[in-house]
Amino acid sequence: MPTKHLPLAIRTAFIVLLVLLWDSSVRFGWIDSLFLASPVHTAEKFAATTRTALPHLYATLTAFTVAFVSGVLLATVLGFAISLSGYTYKVFMPLLVLGVTIPKVTLLPLFVLWFGIEKTTIIVYGMLSAFFPMIVNVLAASLEVKPNQVVLARAMGCGKVRTFTKVIFPAMLPVLSSGCFYACNAALMGVFIVELALSRFGMGALVHDLAMTFRTAELYAAVLLTAAITVAINMALWYAARHFSRWRA
Amino acid sequence: MSPALARMALVLGVLLVWEAFSRFTSVSPILIAPPSEVLWQIVRIVSTHGSVPDFYSNLWVTLAELLAAYAVTASLGVLVGFLFAGSKLIGDAFEPVLLVLYAIPKIILYPLIVLVLGIGMFPKIVFGVMVGIFVVIFNTAAGLRQVEPTYISLARSLGYGKWKIFFSVVIPAAAPTILAGLRLGFGYTILGIITAELLVVNAGLGFLIDWASFNYYTPQLYALIIITLCIGVIGNGLFSVLERRWVR
Repeated sequence: MPTKHLPLAIRTAFIVLLVLLWDSSVRFGWIDSLFLASPVHTAEKFAATTRTALPHLYATLTAFTVAFVSGVLLATVLGFAISLSGYTYKVFMPLLVLGVTIPKVTLLPLFVLWFGIEKTTIIVYGMLSAFFPMIVNVLAASLEVKPNQVVLARAMGCGKVRTFTKVIFPAMLPVLSSGCFYACNAALMGVFIVELALSRFGMGALVHDLAMTFRTAELYAAVLLTAAITVAINMALWYAARHFSRWRA
Repeated sequence: MSPALARMALVLGVLLVWEAFSRFTSVSPILIAPPSEVLWQIVRIVSTHGSVPDFYSNLWVTLAELLAAYAVTASLGVLVGFLFAGSKLIGDAFEPVLLVLYAIPKIILYPLIVLVLGIGMFPKIVFGVMVGIFVVIFNTAAGLRQVEPTYISLARSLGYGKWKIFFSVVIPAAAPTILAGLRLGFGYTILGIITAELLVVNAGLGFLIDWASFNYYTPQLYALIIITLCIGVIGNGLFSVLERRWVR
């Protein structure tokens, strides 16, 4: 076997081993099938569960999209405004970093208090989750702009708009797109946390109900489905982030 | 005015507006508690004179879960990171698997963990590790890989042995990135533990927060939330001190 394919072979063997282990822990009763559905049962239920999940999936993806887009837009506008002067940058940056590091989930009971057990809470919390990683990255991206290049662009007769689109924005783009990646991850997490906590809307509610009623095979199928979709979303953004930073390599 | 001073003035201003808003408008005291009352509640809770039951035993539950989870996150994360950076084969084989696992919002797996492991402290610790460990692994591997090869060949030409190179060249050069990973991992571990406590309520600060919000004890709720956030802020501050001391 050529060594080029060796990592792939090891990886495949590892995954097959895991699935076998999963299967035999149900088959030989190491774990009760009430708590762990076998891979075969999960696969059997997958199509039916996907069909039941469609409206929930739609609700989750809508809430996620609204939260992600509004969080990123708000962060971008505020971030650009703050990064216009070095002084406001120094004033706000530590506060915003604090906003990223503190476990915001602690505030969830307050959000429920203010916005009720409604979809608004999901969107507001998801938006806040996306906002902080994004704005910190917008501010970090503003440091990537080299003042010399801006001066050069001006000297060569570029107007404000052209300087922005040709020099400032391309310089910021790599960090901005990786900010989008983190914001997306955080928004997905935020939306699912609230959906699980409220257990009224979306995939979070479906997963919660399936777990509560011990429909184990359907539960595993629903979790696999959600995982596959979120991985697809994240991977798309990750490749986009890499694509936009390729020019500087 | 220096930026730090302006920042303090800004925070103070927000607190004043918040105080005035909660005292002089008709907004319900169930929704918003004035900061002065929240501060008073924090003092009462910490001195165990408040209405919050068993504060210290619940605080200890959360701290014990956090410490247990973080011990695993840090040691296992750094170990796996070393394995990935140490062997190209292991790295190439398993890193894609980890990237996919990282891309899954772990929260969606929490119902499965509860189903298999129950509702005690153990599932919460496992969940904390799951949320926290990835960034430690990736940063450790990245930090070790970005060590300049010329440093190592220089050390070798100076007659350093394998272990000496490892401890006095590789580790110091990789330390900033590894420490940054450990700091981020700590933040994520807290996030995991608190999320787990709020979703399956039986003990810990999550239990107290749920108790306060369920009974509409709003000032106590705000106070408990601020106390919980302080754990994150204090932990983060400790890491800043470590980073400043170890990294040049």
